[in-house]
Amino acid sequence: MIELTVNGIKHQVDVIPEMPLLWVLRDELGITSPKYGCGVAQCGACTVQIDGAAVRSCQAHIGDLAGKSVVTIEGLENGAQHPVLQAWIEHQVPQCGYCQTGQIMQAISLLELHPKPTDQDINEVMSGNLCRCGTYPRIRTAIHAAAAKMAEK
Amino acid sequence: MKSSLIAAVIAASSIATFAGIVAAKDEAAKDALPPGSVSHAEGLEAWKRIEAVVTHPRCANCHVDAKAIPIWTPAGETKPRVHGMNIHGGESRIGAEAIRCSTCHMTSTQANDPAPEPPRAGIDWQLAPVDFIWFGKSGAEICAQLKDPKRNGGRDAVGLLNHLRHDASLSGFIPRGWEPGAGRTTPPGTFEDHVKDMALWGAAGQPCPN
Repeated sequence: MIELTVNGIKHQVDVIPEMPLLWVLRDELGITSPKYGCGVAQCGACTVQIDGAAVRSCQAHIGDLAGKSVVTIEGLENGAQHPVLQAWIEHQVPQCGYCQTGQIMQAISLLELHPKPTDQDINEVMSGNLCRCGTYPRIRTAIHAAAAKMAEK
Repeated sequence: MKSSLIAAVIAASSIATFAGIVAAKDEAAKDALPPGSVSHAEGLEAWKRIEAVVTHPRCANCHVDAKAIPIWTPAGETKPRVHGMNIHGGESRIGAEAIRCSTCHMTSTQANDPAPEPPRAGIDWQLAPVDFIWFGKSGAEICAQLKDPKRNGGRDAVGLLNHLRHDASLSGFIPRGWEPGAGRTTPPGTFEDHVKDMALWGAAGQPCPN
């Protein structure tokens, strides 16, 4: 039995230690915002935060996560009022939407590190999150907008 | 905010490096051979085998310069290319300034998965220090760097053995070079062969090719 905290709630899961966090979240806990894209850390669709850092959940084996705190988009402080989510909605970023929860979780980590990111900062941090719909210009715009919103507070 | 976050990441990453040092020193003392007990020629032979290891992409690709751009040699290929996804290790060498290496390369003692899944290690994934450049360097250049305490972390020959054993005690990058996950090539020999060669080379006075 492995215990971890997801979105502030403690869970115990009885799975093999090699099971990726992504499987645990989706299949064991019913938290479906992290998406299976590639399974090999090359697309970013499964990005969540573990102890405050963005991580590809397809790579994090549950056996290494005992006692860790995981946050998915469902558990963001302020919920839908989170400035990054608000910016995403205002700028109508998603097209098909499949990669967008991963994009948002990575963008939140970016803004924690660079509250006023330059385009170069965005390129460096967001390049591992792919979008087959090509929403990159809107992602960039929304990140700048979210940074401005967060600076107002 | 930014500098404190980066400092916190670096500090957290450093804690593990202190663990197991004493045990590693004991083991390395057993590995070491008496200085002068190995001939110059045997030492050079040992170096040739060491050189084949340290110039192998599995070992050299993260020993890069201050630009901190890791190198990829994808499974099934031999030609090096820059790491995908616009990855920069930064001054921290662990990606703390942009995207951490450990976003994809997990800190874990579990076995590596088959390529192309990113390898993991028991130490937070990172580039080697700037002074330890191996990628693109000749064997003679790497040899000179490895024996120079000013450019090898202040280590003598026994200190280098300590380093190997300490890294192994943490399930670190060095032994994992030989266990990179199915589909990936490995350096010649085994980790234990490499320790023995480093002991031979050290006892011979760390001879380098011209």
